[in-house]
Amino acid sequence: MQAKRTLRSVAILAAGLLATSTATGLVASSANAAAKSTVIINETTAMTSLNSGTPDTNLVTNSDIGYLTSAGFWYYDNKPNLVRNTKFGTFKIAKNVKNDFEVTYTVNKGQVWSDGVAITGVDLLLSHILNSSAYSKKAGLGDPSGDTAPAFTSGGYGGVYDNHIKSVSLSKDKMSVTLKYDSFQPDWQISGPGPSPVHALELLADGKTALPTPAAGAAATAKFLSDFNAGLKGPNARLAKIGAIWSTGYNIQDINASTNPLLLVSNGGFIVQSAIKNTSVTLVRNPKYTSGPALSKTNPLNKVIFSFVTDGAPAAQALGNGEIDVYDGQPDTATYQQLKQLGGVTVETGTTMTYEHVDLRVGNSALQTDANAADYNGPFADSHGQKARDLRKAFLLALPRQSIVNKEVSQAYDPNNQADATVMNSNFLLPGQTGYKSVVAGSGVSVYTAGTQAERTAAALKLVQKWYPSAADGSNTVAINMLFKNNARRIGENLLIAAEEAKAGFKVSTVGNAAWSSKLDDPNYDVAMFAWAPQVVSQTGNNANYQSDGGNNHYGWNDSALDTVLHSLEAPLTDAQITAKYLAADKIIMAKAWTLPLYQWPSVAAYSSSLKNVKPSPLIPNMVWNYWEWHF
Amino acid sequence: MLAYIARRIGIVLLILFGSSYIVYNLEAFSGDPLAELRTSSAKNRDFLIAQMTRELHLDVPPPIRYFDWLRGVLGVLTGHADLGKTRDGLLVVNEISAAIPVTIRLVLGATILAIVLGITVGVITAIRQYSRLDYTMTFISFLMFSLPIFWVAVLLKQYMAIEFNNFLGSGQITVPWMIGAAILIGISVAGIISGSRRRVWFIFGGAFVSTVILLWLVNVTDWLLKPGLGIVGVGLLTAGISVGIAAIVVGMENRRVVLASLTVAIATVALYFPINALWSAKHLSFLALIAPMLLLVVLAIVAAVAFTKVDRGSAIRTTVITSVFASLLLLIDRMMNTWSGYIHSDGIDLRPIPTYGTVSVRLSSDNFWINLMDGFVHVLLPTIALTLISFAGYVRYSRGSLLEVMNMDYIRTARAKGLSERVVIVRHALRNAMIPLTTLMAFDFAGVIGGAIITESVFGWHGMGTLFRSAISSQDLNLLMGVFAITSFMAVMANLVADLLYSALDPRIRVSK
Repeated sequence: MQAKRTLRSVAILAAGLLATSTATGLVASSANAAAKSTVIINETTAMTSLNSGTPDTNLVTNSDIGYLTSAGFWYYDNKPNLVRNTKFGTFKIAKNVKNDFEVTYTVNKGQVWSDGVAITGVDLLLSHILNSSAYSKKAGLGDPSGDTAPAFTSGGYGGVYDNHIKSVSLSKDKMSVTLKYDSFQPDWQISGPGPSPVHALELLADGKTALPTPAAGAAATAKFLSDFNAGLKGPNARLAKIGAIWSTGYNIQDINASTNPLLLVSNGGFIVQSAIKNTSVTLVRNPKYTSGPALSKTNPLNKVIFSFVTDGAPAAQALGNGEIDVYDGQPDTATYQQLKQLGGVTVETGTTMTYEHVDLRVGNSALQTDANAADYNGPFADSHGQKARDLRKAFLLALPRQSIVNKEVSQAYDPNNQADATVMNSNFLLPGQTGYKSVVAGSGVSVYTAGTQAERTAAALKLVQKWYPSAADGSNTVAINMLFKNNARRIGENLLIAAEEAKAGFKVSTVGNAAWSSKLDDPNYDVAMFAWAPQVVSQTGNNANYQSDGGNNHYGWNDSALDTVLHSLEAPLTDAQITAKYLAADKIIMAKAWTLPLYQWPSVAAYSSSLKNVKPSPLIPNMVWNYWEWHF
Repeated sequence: MLAYIARRIGIVLLILFGSSYIVYNLEAFSGDPLAELRTSSAKNRDFLIAQMTRELHLDVPPPIRYFDWLRGVLGVLTGHADLGKTRDGLLVVNEISAAIPVTIRLVLGATILAIVLGITVGVITAIRQYSRLDYTMTFISFLMFSLPIFWVAVLLKQYMAIEFNNFLGSGQITVPWMIGAAILIGISVAGIISGSRRRVWFIFGGAFVSTVILLWLVNVTDWLLKPGLGIVGVGLLTAGISVGIAAIVVGMENRRVVLASLTVAIATVALYFPINALWSAKHLSFLALIAPMLLLVVLAIVAAVAFTKVDRGSAIRTTVITSVFASLLLLIDRMMNTWSGYIHSDGIDLRPIPTYGTVSVRLSSDNFWINLMDGFVHVLLPTIALTLISFAGYVRYSRGSLLEVMNMDYIRTARAKGLSERVVIVRHALRNAMIPLTTLMAFDFAGVIGGAIITESVFGWHGMGTLFRSAISSQDLNLLMGVFAITSFMAVMANLVADLLYSALDPRIRVSK
């Protein structure tokens, strides 16, 4: 009896203690759920530099950090459309006559860098140094295409700007810059200048290690203007010194209190506060930010941390553990399923700008540098006339595009998904872009989409039998050497292609090549399958692929009518006019049976559901393009 | 001897040259560093290709380009080693020197832990050959050995990080868990101690009940949120350890050494508060951290000398080992006291166990202990994963080696002349049984620098393994060769060191010619 009573009181005591301790535990955890204002974004590579403008440092991570720390005249939204940033300034065509095309960029008054120094038109002039080979040579900064690297190791040389700029001039009030090109430039909007903190570069060249007063900063800006003008006239050692700082001075991966603050001067919504090599970069709000859209009014971000996790699966678990808030990438099936199962996480699938396509060779590449290479004489060679055209058409007809796309897109993350994914049907526009539907309707691509794959393959076999009467399913009559990378994605696609083409009498090679990209001009290959990866939206962006002398035309495609259409794209055009020209060009390409697009690469974004307004975008800077709208 | 070493070094250099030449060319021909640029639609693509060709000397064929790389590496002789630049324009030397400490942090602890635990378990199972414990440990070690590390890592992250963090929100162990844990511990304890069926059941019951009581105490004291040993815990544990170590090293019959060892435990308790006060300084210097530990070691030596007159060597060994464990206990206690502050600090918010990385990116604290704890929780899961899979090898090797030695004639002689079993095992058998393990250890330590490629990528550590992997996947020839040069050098040198150690440890083996 006594023992029982003791036991009971012990039990009651224990229960009481348990209850109290549970309660205290609960109180402790709810007290910690304070309002969040820090967002941690995953990046698959580490930051290597604060300057993403050189070919070496032009990495996604560096660009994303650069995007948050700078604001210029425009940005891409998630459509992706070009949006003018009128908070920073305005730009317009000042003059457009033959051989004289002028664009004026005006910086809004009253803006300052994060150190309080005023932003003026002088800050746009560095852009000219970074993009004009002529200036670089004149100012004694080296020949960008020479054997030694120039003072500014910029990745901007050799482009539209470099090839067509005539002069650059600063307005009297020093707030506007006018660029003079030798002719109209269809991509003039994205070829324009962006602001750089030139005063900081000047002070760095002086060996300064502290932020200047606004007056000292303005003096340094003025000094840069005189250096720039001196460079227009002849060699300038001061600019060479600044070039060395611009090229390598920003390549820092550890940032802390001892880092020279001049390196961190910026005009974006955030400024870099600290960084740990190979681990993370921490950005805090720029209190002087007025150069872009205002940050969200409710619970905006106070701190953005880029954390570097290379692989998808660890990133998914880190997301589940609350170590990161935002994930963006191309995960495998397992990772996707893992992401889907996480509580409190929104998962969105989307597409990237990168798209896969199949090209057929009709002749030697215009880019072929090996003078001794034999002329292409394979089954698709234009020299065979109608026979080659029929075989090309047959090959494209028997291309099992829908099953490839289903495997790579709709089943990319869920093997049980039976839905048909979107096959890309235009060589110029991505599904969803303005005009895509009308181009697809009229370009003649319907030949390759009509009916079932079995019907198309049967039609293909008939075409082959026209020239090879003995051809049959599995007859291996026409041998096709296919170029593709030996990775899982391409090997899978190649096997699907080989199996279906075999039914039309083709024998497609099934050996991938790790060094495929250096073989694009190799006439031993009849077909190539790879992906184009556009970095910008440009109305002439695909010209280089199809023009007879285009820099990406590896397959000997040559058609004067097409060249005329593509050339006419290099003019100021309305959207309707552009669509009409794309339609005309696509029509020619489809009739010639040169190439067919397959699909856009899929992507996945996952982020903490408490974070609002995240809108994944296919173009760099992907997720963070609208960081100002983000809030908790 | 010197001639032998010189000859071996000559061979090593030849091997290094040959292997690096082969690897350089294999990697150079296996891919195209310009692949990305070739499919780019950038308007100035040709310029970018020319720029990269210029920077990486891609216009020189790889078999010749190798010598350019070799010249840079040989600069090490004149003190100006140049391993070239990575594709991203970073110096390979900088990348490697940043990666090596990370890798060492990751792998060294796990390697030492695996060696210590593996040898201990191996020796115990050898002594209790064919016992229930032997079979259990053999089963467990083979199980661990056959687990793929990426899978172990994912499980560890799921259950020891994510689920544990969720659980820590309340910090209360539920009744089913309590019973489950008690059964598990009961079975393992009963498995270790053999005897009659009745005795086994009795032991199981004892372990079960004490586990339930212990876990209940953990719950009522909120121990998981506010852990600590306290002066009592440290005192009891140190006393137990001091007696145990004395029993193994010199035997309980040697009262004076046992007393000396106990004195160290008493000194530890006496110094508990002063040391903790010293360690609570705002800006803790390394000296202040290490000084109390050194003091304990000095005290241990003094105690040993004061208590014994003969065989002072083994007495000093006993007390010094005791003092090292005592220092560790003090450190563990201090870390436990830090735990509460750590899990409540800004950026941790009661989710202390991370799944990747080397530091919490959100944590900003200048407290030495908080940062030490941060480093500790990050290294915790990778260390467990690596230890689990590499521990099996040591268990099997040390068990087999000790069993072989135990069957030798000189052991029978030792027993015949009446030595105690402890002396036979510790003094006669164990030392000789450890000789073959030196080879294994030498290679494992060389492997430390090579990194654990899979473990590093799963846990997001940017060490040598990650460098190696990213160099291969991005066709970064200079980076790959930099990593290869270091790791291959370590491997061949470890081979040499193992051979030399072998001959030094075992007089029957002589290096000749």
